[in-house]
Amino acid sequence: MIPVDELKRYEIFAEMDLTELRLLSAMAEERRAREGEEVIRAGSPARTLYVLQEGGLMVVFPDGRAITLHKPGRVVGWSALVSPTHYTASVTCLTDSTLIAFPGSELLRLVQRNVVFGTKIMRKISEVLSRRLPFLQEKDKRLLKQRS
Amino acid sequence: MGGFSGISAGNGWIISALGISVVFFGLASLAFIISYFPRAINWWNDHAQTPRHVFPLLGGVFGKGRRKVPSILGEGTIHEPGDIKDAEEALRLLTAHMGEPFKLPRLIEVAEQRGLVRVHSVINRLLVRGIIVGGADGLFRWAKGSENEGPLDRYNGDTTR
Repeated sequence: MIPVDELKRYEIFAEMDLTELRLLSAMAEERRAREGEEVIRAGSPARTLYVLQEGGLMVVFPDGRAITLHKPGRVVGWSALVSPTHYTASVTCLTDSTLIAFPGSELLRLVQRNVVFGTKIMRKISEVLSRRLPFLQEKDKRLLKQRS
Repeated sequence: MGGFSGISAGNGWIISALGISVVFFGLASLAFIISYFPRAINWWNDHAQTPRHVFPLLGGVFGKGRRKVPSILGEGTIHEPGDIKDAEEALRLLTAHMGEPFKLPRLIEVAEQRGLVRVHSVINRLLVRGIIVGGADGLFRWAKGSENEGPLDRYNGDTTR
């Protein structure tokens, strides 16, 4: 469980009201990862969405290109909310990092039950997605187009 | 007189033992001197341009304790500013071969193969400080002008970025 006040700090949760934040807080868990540790492997089933709390991450796409994330609140593992729920990129810690982990299945259930919450979170996820779309493989782009 | 009795009579055994001893001690001395060559070369590289330090440092070169050489191939700890600067130079050499812009994961892979330690952490620092910059194309470059700055200008007191 992560305190509501902690979640409120991050841009992805900025539009959430207290009730929604409490639900998120209950399902969230802190995860610490060591420098060089692979948190997410491309192609593996996407079960967790992560929000960077502290540290630095490198998102590596299948063609070897990469982006790095250093600002708290950055999101990785959005695939946990989008079919076919397999990770499209690998994520490695550039330094010892702390992440907030959200189980994808629970988050997806919440999205499906609560339309308002779902709209808010999916809007944020689509912002992340649009920034990373140029790096995705053609087959992943096609799947996303089909879903949308 | 011949054979063993002849050797004994002419002090042949003693002369042979003496010869073996001379060769043994000669080779041992040579090995001892050669074992100091790496230290002498390191010292020469580090201090060749500061002759006033020659005499105090001679004690360090030939002293009992092994001189601590700042190295990126060491025990896995990175201290600023020297080690980061060394690591940065090593990474610059690697990217000179790879070409710019470069793929960051590939650079990390090659650097680890070459024995650099804590490459992720080093690259994280270089990224945070804007010495390595990422492009919108997912490729990375060295920031223009960063190679011309002195290491101390860049690293001293720079803890906020």
